Amino acid sequence: MDVKREMELRDAEAMEEKNILLTSIEKFLNWGRVHSFWPNSFGLACCAIEMASTGNPRYDLSRFGYEVFQASPRQADLMIVAGTLTRKMAPVARRIYDQMPDPKWAIAMGNCACSGGPFADSYAVVPGADSIIPIDVYIPGCPPRPESLIFGMLQLKQKIQNPAKARLINYGK
Amino acid sequence: MVSDILRVRVSELAARFNGEVEENLGELELTVDGRYILEALTDAKNFADVPCDFLHDLCGMDLGDYLEVVYQLSSLRGPQRLRIIARVERDNPAINSVTQIWKGSDFLEREAFDMFGLQFRGHPNLKRIYMWDDFEGYPMRKDYVIESHEQRAVMRVRKEGE
Repeated sequence: MDVKREMELRDAEAMEEKNILLTSIEKFLNWGRVHSFWPNSFGLACCAIEMASTGNPRYDLSRFGYEVFQASPRQADLMIVAGTLTRKMAPVARRIYDQMPDPKWAIAMGNCACSGGPFADSYAVVPGADSIIPIDVYIPGCPPRPESLIFGMLQLKQKIQNPAKARLINYGK
Repeated sequence: MVSDILRVRVSELAARFNGEVEENLGELELTVDGRYILEALTDAKNFADVPCDFLHDLCGMDLGDYLEVVYQLSSLRGPQRLRIIARVERDNPAINSVTQIWKGSDFLEREAFDMFGLQFRGHPNLKRIYMWDDFEGYPMRKDYVIESHEQRAVMRVRKEGE
C-alpha cells in the first residue's frame, strides 16, 4: 500500500473517532443499496425452487440482507428472472420490470433465462430474457445451485459498488 | 393383461363401426373413423361389466397423411383400459366434441385444437389454451415451420384483457 493512501486512511480513522465519515452521496447510497436488495420473486419455472431454497435457513440469504422477496414489483429493486421466459409471458415480464422503481437491476437465473437453454429452438420460448429486459448478471446452470445465486448477487453488489470497473469491463472506457 | 370380456366387447364395437382392433403395449387399441367417435365412446362408456367410463387423456397426433385423436379410457371401477383412436382428414380436421359425455374433456380438446388445429364440433369454448390468441399456425403439426431466432426475440404486443 502506498504512503499517500495510508495517510488518507489514517485521517479517515481519526475522523471516525469524532463520528464523521467523508464520502460522495452516490457512493453512500450505493453502499446502502447493495446491502439490502429487495428482489422481486419472479419465479417462472424450476429455478424458482432453487430461488426459494436460497432464502431458506440452510443457505441463509438474509446474512447478506437480501431476504425480503417482494410479491409486488413496486416494492422491489431487483428482478430475478428465474426460469423459462415464454413468449406469452414476455410482455407481462416487461410490464413488471417497468413497474419497479429506479434504481433497478435484473438477474437472469438459469440457462433458460440466459439464452433459452434447452428450449432455445422452441416455438414458444424467448431465446434469452435479455431481448426483453436489460440484464445485469447472468447465472448459468440448470438450475443453478443456491450458492450460484448468492454468488451472482454478490457479483451484482460488486458491479454496483464499482460502476467504473463494470463500465471498463463492458465498454473498455 | 386384457380381460376376455373386454376383448369381446371391443370386437363387437369394432364390428359395428367398421374399426380395427389391435393390442399394443398391453392395451386394446380400437381405430375408428372420426365420424363415429361420439357413438363409439358412448358405447365404450356403457360397456356391460367392463365400463370404460373415465377419460384419462385426449390428445392429437399428426401422421402425415391424416390426423388422429387418441382417447385414453380407463375406469375407477376396475383395471380395464382401452385406447380409442379416431382418424380425421388433414384438410378438414373436424370431429365431434365429447364434452357432452365427459365435461373434463373441455381443456383437453382445447389443447388438441391449440396444437393440431383439430376442430371440435359442439365444444362450448374452443379457443387457444397455451398459445396466445394471435399465434398463427399449429405448432405440433409436422409441417409447422418455427420462426427464426430473431423473430422470436421480438416482444409481442399484449392485448388488454388477455
